[in-house]
Amino acid sequence: MAIGASAPVRVETYQKAPSAFARNAPGYLFLLPWFIGFFGLTLGPALVSLYLSFTDYNLLQAPHLVGLDNYARIATGDDKFISSMKVTLFYVVCSVPLKLAFALMVALLLNRGIRGLPIYRAIFYLPSLLGSSVAIAVLWRQIFDGDGVVNTLLWYVLGINGPSWISNPNYSLYTLIILAIWQFGSPMIIFLAGLRQIPTDLYEAASLDGASKARIFFKITLPLLTPVIFFNAVVQTIDAFKAFTPAYVISSGTGGPIDSTLFYTLYLYQEAFGYFRMGYAAALAWVLVIIIAVFTAFSFLSARYWVHYDD
Amino acid sequence: MTLTIDRRQLLAGMAATVAFSSIGLGRANAATSMRFLWWGSKERTDRTLAAIKAYQGKNADVSIAGESFGWDNYWTRLATQTAGGNAPDLIQMDYRYIFEYARRGTLLDFTPYMGKSLAIDDFGAPNIDSGKVDGKLYGVNLGVNSSMAAVNTVAWAEAGVEPMHDGMTWDQFAEACAKVTAAGKRRGFYGSQDASGVEPSFECWLRQRGKALYTNDGKLAFEAKDAADWFAFWGHMRDIKACVPADVQALDQLTIETNMIALRKAAVCFAHSNQFIAIQGLGKEKLDIFAYPNPGPGGKPGQYLKPSMLMSVSATSANKDAAVAFVNYLVEDPDGTKALGVERGVPASSKIRGLLTPDLDAASKQVVDYIGRLTPQVGALPPSPPNGAGENAFLLKKIAEEVAFGKTSAQDAGTKFVEQAAANVTRG
Repeated sequence: MAIGASAPVRVETYQKAPSAFARNAPGYLFLLPWFIGFFGLTLGPALVSLYLSFTDYNLLQAPHLVGLDNYARIATGDDKFISSMKVTLFYVVCSVPLKLAFALMVALLLNRGIRGLPIYRAIFYLPSLLGSSVAIAVLWRQIFDGDGVVNTLLWYVLGINGPSWISNPNYSLYTLIILAIWQFGSPMIIFLAGLRQIPTDLYEAASLDGASKARIFFKITLPLLTPVIFFNAVVQTIDAFKAFTPAYVISSGTGGPIDSTLFYTLYLYQEAFGYFRMGYAAALAWVLVIIIAVFTAFSFLSARYWVHYDD
Repeated sequence: MTLTIDRRQLLAGMAATVAFSSIGLGRANAATSMRFLWWGSKERTDRTLAAIKAYQGKNADVSIAGESFGWDNYWTRLATQTAGGNAPDLIQMDYRYIFEYARRGTLLDFTPYMGKSLAIDDFGAPNIDSGKVDGKLYGVNLGVNSSMAAVNTVAWAEAGVEPMHDGMTWDQFAEACAKVTAAGKRRGFYGSQDASGVEPSFECWLRQRGKALYTNDGKLAFEAKDAADWFAFWGHMRDIKACVPADVQALDQLTIETNMIALRKAAVCFAHSNQFIAIQGLGKEKLDIFAYPNPGPGGKPGQYLKPSMLMSVSATSANKDAAVAFVNYLVEDPDGTKALGVERGVPASSKIRGLLTPDLDAASKQVVDYIGRLTPQVGALPPSPPNGAGENAFLLKKIAEEVAFGKTSAQDAGTKFVEQAAANVTRG
């Protein structure tokens, strides 16, 4: 056919070409539930809470703007802010490295091609599913209280009369750290996946050269695993900052004894729903967002010095 | 052929659907349906649901949906619902919160109903006035209550110690409790709980010295020395092993299920008198109920009668008349009051009290008898606590724990408590 005949066709195609939005409409339609959730349940409430953090809102009366009063109090005059931040930081600093080390250890054990791996993997993953539930926190009370399993064992095996771990301010936080380590399942799964990615020819070469197992671990496994370690560390740190349920259930919402388990989130909850200081609690929440953001930023900055992307 | 629905059919279908559903709504509206929110133990829930069922049996057009929560969650729930314009019609209210809710206009004033659908004249003036705020009636007394010491008589008798009685002095009490511990009949068992962090106990101690927790205008009505003496007394109790050590007391989360009698750690615990029934219900060993110890000659009455809780109606309820009628049923009708028993405290109505007493179970009879014995010796109802007072109850527990675990001295703890408690009240 002649060229002239094809021209109108091209024009027509051009006119009918759907806009980018129309072309992607089905995609957006399928994303709609997520958009509704994100704008209605996440972004909207977050913006409202930002507004409330500048007010004295108390649930029963309309909020009044109080400027930066709430933030000023957090910065200068709140002992509980400082003590709850200390408890939370201690919890993060202790629980995250220990949990990751434990998860890595189990992942290495499981990675040796043992039979029935999926079963072990599922069993070890189980605590992560149960870990932040109310039932487990109640169980933890039973294990670590004065007449609990731990003390019964101590008494029969070592003849030691142990303290009530959960209700003693010197030990109560450690029981929560142990609870966190016990939930090592999700970083373990990720470590396992990471270990599978390491090329086996590197190990073959190393063993041919007669490298010791320790040397292989520190020179091959660990460096090649750093991206996975980094990912796990960031995710677990954020999670640890947000920890709430175990402390809430174990101390019945008080953060006791003597505020030894008063996590930052628990303090925030008390201010909001215990004493109806919604405005102040909203400010506390935004301070936590900033603190987590700073920690995450630091992790990413430090990553260039120790994370090896081997491409 | 394919199934097609044109626009006209669709509209007709929608109209029909709307019409049918509005018929349904119409029927639902014909029956008065109300919501009733309360806090409390399972015992209370069972009794309350029984009362609701009995009422619905007699009033076929009324349906009442009941919801029960623990104390902490209850106030969160009520505040959230009230803020959201969705307050329940029937509200179980506490003396601590009624001023706040009433002054913000969220509760119905019962005054116009008095002597009509709300016939509570036989409560007597003090029991009616305990539900008044600024001269208007916002709460109907659900039961008369006081603080108490509960004692496990079996454990006490095992130790061979002379039985407890009303009117013991604090020193006699300490001595007797030390003997119970020393008898050592049960492993890890002590004479008393450590009540240094229990606010009603501290309040009783203050009133016995002529002080109080708060003044009428919401300031602290005690000094650092009073608090220091209180912490020192319990330090002495721990020293002579009359009460449980710190890490045992820390298991007590201020609930009935975790108190020292329920956990079988001590023979004595301090609580509200209506809670005696639930505490007895948790164990088989027979309990008895006594007044608080006192400072001896020259001491003032520390205890007082208070409404254990109040019934209020939401100011925004669509069924105010029906709600008031149900409130009246709970406090003045023989059937309603029989279902509730004395679990919420002893009924304020003298008529109902007389009707109920013969049929009560043993624990309930003990409570009624106790309130009767105590009535001649009590002091006046203190003013309602100011905003921020709720936080001070937890502050007392925390500072008492600091002393008990040896982190601070009784002296310093007294000063610290007064400073921080005053700051909490000022902040509101």
